[in-house]
Amino acid sequence: MDDRRSRFEAQVLPHLDAAYRFARWLARSPDDADDVVQEAILRAYRGFDALRGSDVKAWLLTIVRNCHSTSLKQQQRRAQVPLPEEHDTQDGYALIATTPDPESASIRRDEEHTLESLIAKLSDDYREVLVLREIEDMRYREIAAVTNLPMGTVMSRLARARSALKEHWLLQAKGEPHAVP
Amino acid sequence: MQCPDSLRVQAYLDGETDAVSAADIERHMERCAECCALHRDLEQLRTALRRDLPHTPIPPALRARVMRALDEESSIDTPPRRARATWRTRPFWMGATSGGLGMAAVAATLAFLLLSPQLTSPVVDEVLNAHVNSLLSTHLIDVVSTDKHTVKPWFAGHTDVSPLVADFEPQGYKLVGGRVDYLEHQRAAVVVYRHGAHVINVFSWAATQRSLPGKLTRNGYHFVFWKAGDLQYCAVSDTGWDELLGLVQLLQDLGGRDAG
Repeated sequence: MDDRRSRFEAQVLPHLDAAYRFARWLARSPDDADDVVQEAILRAYRGFDALRGSDVKAWLLTIVRNCHSTSLKQQQRRAQVPLPEEHDTQDGYALIATTPDPESASIRRDEEHTLESLIAKLSDDYREVLVLREIEDMRYREIAAVTNLPMGTVMSRLARARSALKEHWLLQAKGEPHAVP
Repeated sequence: MQCPDSLRVQAYLDGETDAVSAADIERHMERCAECCALHRDLEQLRTALRRDLPHTPIPPALRARVMRALDEESSIDTPPRRARATWRTRPFWMGATSGGLGMAAVAATLAFLLLSPQLTSPVVDEVLNAHVNSLLSTHLIDVVSTDKHTVKPWFAGHTDVSPLVADFEPQGYKLVGGRVDYLEHQRAAVVVYRHGAHVINVFSWAATQRSLPGKLTRNGYHFVFWKAGDLQYCAVSDTGWDELLGLVQLLQDLGGRDAG
């Protein structure tokens, strides 16, 4: 039996669920998240020898985050490739614009009121620190390691994320969407 | 204008302050209405987040896909002279035992793939898949332990149920660990036993109204379903019926004793 593989499974795979959840919060679609998780686990396996008894979960989530940024950059590069000449911009736009059907529009309206969707609407910078703190229950220094930010920035982003979320959520819970103090 | 201490209130909420400054912040909140309100709001928000946000585990299909990718990766970086390199997907603790288990797993997969099961109950289907996956993939055990006092508390943090866990080594059923599987939209607890060369998975999840068969055999695996309290149990293995029912009897006796 491959000893390296066994150690990897024992130490890293217990955090597979966390890696998946984090990828789901970062990625723009479930398919993207799946790809990010797979790529992250492979990269983690390749780089496993460099891991020295530090915090495995933070280490794995850092890799997930890096994989996500790489895949985002690739997508952006692809999006910049111009359309063939015979398509004018009007056609190009029509290709991606879809008219929402009434059913999915109504589902979206319901989802708008869940905390999950409020978090999804936060900017990427705010969302990741909030998710790492509140869902993955990580310490400030771990969040700083994963996001490669100074601890002070982690704290201020977390405060702003919470304040944005709190405002929307509390107002909605009280049913007073316009009563902004 | 925000109170300059608001970040310290947040740190207090997050348990990131030592005892001295915690006391300091508590005193401050007694005086500062703004920070007091902030603390209350943040606590409410946290409660709601913990209550409403799903702690979704990775879907079994994606886990299997990741495992396959890992198999390919590890077969690249090891010398190809090992003909059965890809079957190193056996759980690591089985590594020390004979290759017979690996071959049994190969045979089991082939049987599983070739026989293309016609299953009537989706639950049986799910349990069968989970059982076969646990033998093939590396996901047989999440917590390795022969001590029920380790396995049971582990379930409390990772699954939606608290099943019976006991070691019956004197009777030939050695407790080897526990695992989480996703069954009937729940995080089901799986207690893993060894009986000779066989693995017995005992699944448990919150019982639903659905009626399930007591005993059945699919693809060479025996299944025993039973209910205890509000839990649905299912023991699955490729052992003989007598051996499997032996374990079920021990668990039911234990459950009866605990209840009485």
